[in-house]
Amino acid sequence: MSSKPTKWVSLTINGDNREFAIGGRAGELPPSETLADTLRERLGLTGTKVGCDRGSCCSCTVLINGAPSLSCMTLTVECDGASVITIEGLPDPLTGALDPLQQAFIDHTAYQCGFCTPGMIMAAKALLTANPSPAESEIKSALGGHYCRCISHYHVIDAVADAAGRKS
Amino acid sequence: MERTKEFRHIGKATPRKEGRQIVTGAVKYIDDLTLPGMLYGKVLRSPHAHALINKIDTTKAERAAGVKAVLTHENAPDWKFGIPRVVALLDKKVRYAGDAVAIVAAESEELALAALELIEVEYEPLKAVYDIDEATAEGAPDLYEEFPGNLLPTQSIAFGPNTLKEVVLGDVERGFAEADLIYEANTSYDNIPNPLPIEPPGVIARWDSPNELTVWSASQSVSWHRFMMMGKMGFPEIRSIGTQCGGSFGSKNHSPQPFFYAAALAKATGAPVKMLYSKEEHFGAFVLRLGSRFTGKIGLKRDGTVTAIEGEWLVDTGAFSDQAQTQIAVGLGELQLVIRCQNWRVIPKVICTNRAPSGIVRGFGGQELESSILPVFMEAISKEGLDPVDFLKNNFVKPGEGYLWREGNWWVCRGQDYAKAVEEGAKAFGWDEKWKGWLTPSSTDGHKRRGIGVGVHGNADVGEDESEAYVRLTPDGGAVIHANVAESGMGQRSSLIKMVAETLNLPLEKVTMTEPDTMVAPFEFGLTGSRGTWAVGTAVITAAEDALKKLHELAAPRLGVKAEELESENGIIRVKGSDAAQISWRKVIGVFHTVTGHGFFEPDFSMPNFMMLFVEVEVDTGTGQVTLERVVAATDAGRIIDPPSLDGQIYGALGAAGLDTAIFEETVIDKRTGRNLNMNMIDYKWRTFEELPVFDNVILENPLPSHRFGAIGIGEISTSPGPAAVLMAVSNAIGTRLSSYPLAPEKILAAVKSAGEVK
Amino acid sequence: MRYFSHQNVATASDGVKSAIECEGKSCFIAGGTDLLGILKDDLLPSYPEKVINIKTIEGLGNVEGREGGARIGALAKLSALERDPTIIELFPALAESAASVATPEIRNAATLGGNLCQDTRCWYYRYPHHMGGRMDCPRKGSGPCHAVLGDNRYHSVIGGKRCFAPCPSDTAIALAALGATVEVIGADGERSLPVEDLYSPMGNTLRGGEILTNVDIPAQPKGSVQGFKKFTVRKPIDFAIVSVGARITALEGKVSEARIFIGGVAPGPYRDEGVENYLRRKPLDSQSIATASKKALLKAKPLSMNAYKIDIARSLIAELLEELTR
Repeated sequence: MSSKPTKWVSLTINGDNREFAIGGRAGELPPSETLADTLRERLGLTGTKVGCDRGSCCSCTVLINGAPSLSCMTLTVECDGASVITIEGLPDPLTGALDPLQQAFIDHTAYQCGFCTPGMIMAAKALLTANPSPAESEIKSALGGHYCRCISHYHVIDAVADAAGRKS
Repeated sequence: MERTKEFRHIGKATPRKEGRQIVTGAVKYIDDLTLPGMLYGKVLRSPHAHALINKIDTTKAERAAGVKAVLTHENAPDWKFGIPRVVALLDKKVRYAGDAVAIVAAESEELALAALELIEVEYEPLKAVYDIDEATAEGAPDLYEEFPGNLLPTQSIAFGPNTLKEVVLGDVERGFAEADLIYEANTSYDNIPNPLPIEPPGVIARWDSPNELTVWSASQSVSWHRFMMMGKMGFPEIRSIGTQCGGSFGSKNHSPQPFFYAAALAKATGAPVKMLYSKEEHFGAFVLRLGSRFTGKIGLKRDGTVTAIEGEWLVDTGAFSDQAQTQIAVGLGELQLVIRCQNWRVIPKVICTNRAPSGIVRGFGGQELESSILPVFMEAISKEGLDPVDFLKNNFVKPGEGYLWREGNWWVCRGQDYAKAVEEGAKAFGWDEKWKGWLTPSSTDGHKRRGIGVGVHGNADVGEDESEAYVRLTPDGGAVIHANVAESGMGQRSSLIKMVAETLNLPLEKVTMTEPDTMVAPFEFGLTGSRGTWAVGTAVITAAEDALKKLHELAAPRLGVKAEELESENGIIRVKGSDAAQISWRKVIGVFHTVTGHGFFEPDFSMPNFMMLFVEVEVDTGTGQVTLERVVAATDAGRIIDPPSLDGQIYGALGAAGLDTAIFEETVIDKRTGRNLNMNMIDYKWRTFEELPVFDNVILENPLPSHRFGAIGIGEISTSPGPAAVLMAVSNAIGTRLSSYPLAPEKILAAVKSAGEVK
Repeated sequence: MRYFSHQNVATASDGVKSAIECEGKSCFIAGGTDLLGILKDDLLPSYPEKVINIKTIEGLGNVEGREGGARIGALAKLSALERDPTIIELFPALAESAASVATPEIRNAATLGGNLCQDTRCWYYRYPHHMGGRMDCPRKGSGPCHAVLGDNRYHSVIGGKRCFAPCPSDTAIALAALGATVEVIGADGERSLPVEDLYSPMGNTLRGGEILTNVDIPAQPKGSVQGFKKFTVRKPIDFAIVSVGARITALEGKVSEARIFIGGVAPGPYRDEGVENYLRRKPLDSQSIATASKKALLKAKPLSMNAYKIDIARSLIAELLEELTR
């Protein structure tokens, strides 16, 4: 294990500043740790789901500096200075009010088992931020990599389109 | 839809009870749970498809950092599972590449994985068999000494002493003599796809005393981890608790291997152990569909009457049978629902091969059998130029007709004639306009050709097995359902809450359900075979009715009337048709009491459900690509409890090793090494947002004599008609009969070429 | 993932130096979408002691127009390329190939350099170590190529030698058609080479410690049209079974130059001179396209299960060329 001098990484997660000592010693964050593991194991933010752990199902999608990103394929050590938003960061922190997108998912029952839902909502959030009224084809391509074995796709498309309408 | 107006909740789209928890990431799946002092289990897996372990040395691994236990076949508990019960927790023999050799518990996953590298194993490789032909060939190596020729017994006692192991009815010789046409063929559905829920399986086990085990798991049927496992482990007391389940599709009814590993390691270490499979393990060592081949002949009259069915149903279960025999029993029953015939001799065989085991998958034997036998029927009726929709409509079991079901009894259908659903479905699809005859595309545009197909499935398991529930009325005008029901995506917990809220005339917010836990709720078999709506529904409804009856009996003297004259709404009891005399639940129950009702369901196989899928595909004869353009699902649910949940279940036809097993889903096993080559989500193909067909559901609501809402479940079966329907559609598109799955580009191109279509 | 140490480097030459100091026990990370999968699956006999982050190198993330051509830094994200106005206007084949890669999430992380340098997708090579042990092969330094006698449906039909894995990069196919070169820096300084020369049957031709820094696309000839097409089972998250990149230059209604590169069939972009030669001095029309496309991969030596790729390649070439006539 490494005995190199400690290096620090600092990032913002859902608005909170987090600092981690990087290294191989007890309590340090190993450079080989993924952001998904940091969120889930280190910070208890288990809303981010790990499906395949190989970047091929998109269930672990979070926003890094606003871009939908695979937390299972991102090293935390490389997130220095980044702003990360997870599903836990979407509701209004003061009132607890849901993001319109979250409410639209509830209203359309846009999930079955729900495991893929946080990742889909994060990717859809990025889409609607960049493109407030996406065409159906744009919704489909933004969510193109998101695996859902229950087949919630049709309801999800309705929910995202509906949320876009609510915002505008 | 007029009818749903009678109801306060039933038939309306209402939000899922745990909706907010899902969209905020608060709902807890198995990997979101961490117990104090919890260790992590990992499995050392075999490089060989078939080998003896001659020597195994774990000394170095035991000494490695953070390692708390290492178990091998030499020191693991003597627990066995499978049908027959010959599958050891860890064995001296490995039977597939990826089979378990040793298990380790350590303080972290990384440390457990590192320890696996330190285990030294000497293998004696044996010759392996990878498919039905190899396994049954003369001189083939046996996977189990007990089962020469790799044939497992087809008899089981899972459904009682007469568990269906074959269909032998009438007189097949006479049936063939009456036939105008005898057609002989075989079709295989042996691409052993993976149901592949997004969440890998996982179990956490903790021994609270030497004889008391608590397990948390992702399961669709939480009680299985109690009643199915106790007897295999010397009858410890097991408490099984369910987490939210990230999809199952049958495969996570139970997870015998992760369960055993977690329980054995927890026993060895005295600490709770989490055994969460990686996605690779999920692909390569958990649950695949059965392989299936029908080989035989059928007799047919010119009008489409089937006079005889005779043949062998060969079932490839992989390294062992988890539930192959029970799937055979149900599949044989389901075939009788789909094809009306007086004379049968269909004899199954269960065959072991050196690949990862098959287990339970949505479709449960029926999808496997129908996907291999319906194409044979379709080829036969094509010789007579019959329309497949008419044939399937006419042959589906009608009220008053009978069938042998899984436990060996003869049942007479008291359901409904689904002909109306077929007709409505065909109309919505435009079948008559698109059908141009067999092996004829419905339209052609250069090298793009469209074809249509149809498939059907039905299951009488909607009334299978036992359910019990309590409904506890609380003084604040609420109700708590004690039922051991997991949520694996069907929305069934919310639907059951709706049924109880409707029965008690309460707002949905006032009804809750206990978390799935065998300690908290009475016996519940689980959410299998679409049984949630009728079977579990009956238990919670009758529990609610029982509680309400007790409540009204308490209230009656206070209001000076008979209990039967009372009704209740929003926690207020009043005399029917009068607002004058009323009393609150609070006053009747008392602040420090509750009133509890008890409800039951007993098995009843007399009401099969039904699903027909119409599909349209486009085939590019230049590249071999098959594009699914349109799907229409036709069914009758009796009554819809929750429209979006039901729609979702039907859309599920596209997932869970369903329809797409005809197009691109398959498990690829290397025939030289036995290695599974596509254990990742890139090489294992699945349907994405960008390939969604237009999908319409035609759901009729002709109430059935099930329970007060007249509903039966149909969720399980939407996957099953798909493969045969697609095979027909693609064959029609390219004008050449195809008879194996999946229809990968190379297969299409070869078929087109051999038909002389490629210039 | 097993432990490794991690170093950010500020310049390409620092990266090279650091890698050489590690004597082969390091690897570079850019987008990481390929590397982390390899490390998680523990595919290779050796595991890096150090991962050197080259994303921190300044100035390699841009697209710069240059005399009608462009210089693209190796760290440019695929998502940036698919949206970049210069690329879309001048090099639509590249934009299309970038957009065809994996998923939006992957393209937000994956770089052009990484897409060009990614490791093979051969499913024997990629067999995960934790499922019974990694599978050795010539590319890993020992053992035979399992694909030759095994399931080779996705392997090369031409040009394989000892290893029969095809080049998985989509952008390489488009860039080859556009005549692009890559710039590489190593211990011996900089060198540049045509994109198609970046590949050999045993993997990319980068030498130890070398970093791909830039891609140069020349100005495209006047009167040229270009395109990229990819055949996959599904649209997102799939590697090409076959892909085609083409640039056709016409003069007075006749083809003066054709560059046709086929992906998914060979260790690198396969230049099909049979098709090119046939098209030369002919008008690009349905007739010439029909004949020319059938000349594709005439020299192919397919393995036991992958001859179908030839049919697909021919259909794909025909479709692409037809589109280019519109």
